[in-house]
Amino acid sequence: MRVTTERKDPRIDQISWRAVLVGLVSVACAALLALLTRGLGPGSSVAIFMLAVTIAAVSGGIWAGVIAAVLASLIGPVIEHPDLGLQFEQLRDVIAAVVFLAIAAVVGLVVGNAAAERRRATEREREARLLAYLSTKLLSGDVPDRVLDEFVDVLLDPFGLVACTVQVTLDGQTMAATATREDLERGGPSEIVPVVVASIPLGTLTAERPLRGRPFTKRERELLEAATRQAAVALDRARLDARARLAQLDAETNQLRAAMFSSVTHDLRTPLASIKAGVTSLLDESATLGEEQEHDLLLTILEETDRLNRLVGNILDLARIRAGALIPRRVPTAIDEVAEVVVARMRSRLGSVRLELQVAPDLPEIAADPVQLDQVLTNLLENAGRHSPSDATVRVQVGRTDAGVRVRVSDEGPGIPPEQREKVFEAFYRGREEPERPGSGLGLAIARAIVTAHDGRIWVEETTGGGTAVVFDLPIEEEVPA
Amino acid sequence: MKVLVVDDEPQIRRALRTSLEAHGYVVDTVGTGDEGVVAAAGTHPELVLLDLGLPDMDGTEVIRRIRAFSEVPIIVLSVRESQTDKVAALDAGADDYVTKPFGMEELLARSRAALRRRGTEEPTAPILMFGALQVDLARRLVTDDGEQVRLTPTEYGLLEALVTNPGKLLTHQWLLRRVWGQGYGTETTYLRTYVRALRKKLGDDASAPALIVTEPGVGYRWIAEPTG
Repeated sequence: MRVTTERKDPRIDQISWRAVLVGLVSVACAALLALLTRGLGPGSSVAIFMLAVTIAAVSGGIWAGVIAAVLASLIGPVIEHPDLGLQFEQLRDVIAAVVFLAIAAVVGLVVGNAAAERRRATEREREARLLAYLSTKLLSGDVPDRVLDEFVDVLLDPFGLVACTVQVTLDGQTMAATATREDLERGGPSEIVPVVVASIPLGTLTAERPLRGRPFTKRERELLEAATRQAAVALDRARLDARARLAQLDAETNQLRAAMFSSVTHDLRTPLASIKAGVTSLLDESATLGEEQEHDLLLTILEETDRLNRLVGNILDLARIRAGALIPRRVPTAIDEVAEVVVARMRSRLGSVRLELQVAPDLPEIAADPVQLDQVLTNLLENAGRHSPSDATVRVQVGRTDAGVRVRVSDEGPGIPPEQREKVFEAFYRGREEPERPGSGLGLAIARAIVTAHDGRIWVEETTGGGTAVVFDLPIEEEVPA
Repeated sequence: MKVLVVDDEPQIRRALRTSLEAHGYVVDTVGTGDEGVVAAAGTHPELVLLDLGLPDMDGTEVIRRIRAFSEVPIIVLSVRESQTDKVAALDAGADDYVTKPFGMEELLARSRAALRRRGTEEPTAPILMFGALQVDLARRLVTDDGEQVRLTPTEYGLLEALVTNPGKLLTHQWLLRRVWGQGYGTETTYLRTYVRALRKKLGDDASAPALIVTEPGVGYRWIAEPTG
């Protein structure tokens, strides 16, 4: 898109070589025709020249018409009376010259008017298109930096600029964007337009034409200002959007932090309290502890230490997830091996709850982090154990799917209502009925984060007995991002 | 029995010193890798407990330097997350690892196993007994409760590698090279298939193992105590 030059009277074109050529050619043709038809009688050449002038004015504009009219006035009489040479002998020739000129002027003006009208329409359409383009481009919800970059880029061509720079200060932060054309020399006329939103000046836009470029017309200045207004609005919106997003993120973070704080404080303090109580009793020389009591205290300390260790592991994992640092170190891993190891380790920890492991034959190896998968399974088994009545069975099934492996951990607990099945994967979520149960509410959130990091999927199902099954699928191969 | 503890945490050094001394070990403690290498060379410990997260030197580098002059058993102490570091440490020549936080009984058991292996560098007895299981290394014959267990040559090779290194964590790479040959090292699927077959023939349950323990992503360990 290129904005055309504005002229003093849009109806009258400047005289051009094209106009001269059109005038010459049409009169030359007319002269030829008149020479050929000279024998038909006087006056026929006048009609032919009239036609030539009209054609010249229609096709070449007013100046072509005028040139044709002047030429026709000069040549016409010569063709009519070749013996007399170049002179207006008769009144008829003078009238013909005046008529020719009148035709040229009227037709030329009408044609020029139409052309100017057409040109203005195209110009208006281009401007409208530019502004519409700007508004869609700029209001697409981008961040302010992107808005600025887009803006200067979009202006470069339509305005025939060599460089375009915008500099604004938003919320005390100064931003700038520049677009330049390397193929043109700088140093032409330039225009500075203020960037204003709600009568608050934000900064300026500097548009520069190439060396020896046209100066900016009033119309172009206006258009540039309109475009800048659009950009200012977009900028303001982007700024408000960013602010709203930050505020929302802040609120979420605060909420999470509060939940984490209370949960972690409680969960860290409880085992610490037991440990400290146990150790101080053992150190207390005035206490008379039997061997069995001593052993009990020591067992408590051991169990609580393990609990603390698991909790710290989960908190660290959560921190890694939040920091985006939970990256699996993938090696060829046999999920059944991981399951076997976790089941072996969890047997003693789950007390009276029975653990059953079913492994399908010929399971493929998957590209996974065995330590993280161990963590997922440990968390799922701990969770299942926590919701199991004593003497119940927790089943771990490892099988194949078309694209990988599936692990299903099911319990005989009370089950989870369908509307809560997604919520259990949120950090610090606990079922309403179990606010005082041990466990930080992190296990399933971490399991989901790890499974997702392995390009897998994890969800909750109902078992046929009404208990809960947590199922996860893992693909064989690491998904290569397209 | 002299033990060298290399750990930058004074609390861990103190706890280890107290517990190990209570079990009759003579304990020397240092806080950096550099001091560790120097102490290993100067005081000739019979066992080294090495923390992988030292401030001055990568734990694997400490192992490499000690291995340049000594075959002393090295047990690595590391945190849960650094699985690849553990494998690197084992491949660099460490004998075993325990994950922090660990129970003393676990550390002591690993230490005893490592010391025992070192003490019996001499040719092992031709017949190894693990309860009812008997492995006749000379005749390449395995019997369980007097019944012969029929093993393929590869299965037997794997079993031999395991039982002659009781208690030691054998990495995938080490086992593959030992049983399949030098050109192998990454074909963990083979290894898993044969371990599974071996377990089945020996009647060992992977989810409640009495003979072979899996260390996912690292390797396998023969845990049955020799009774012969």
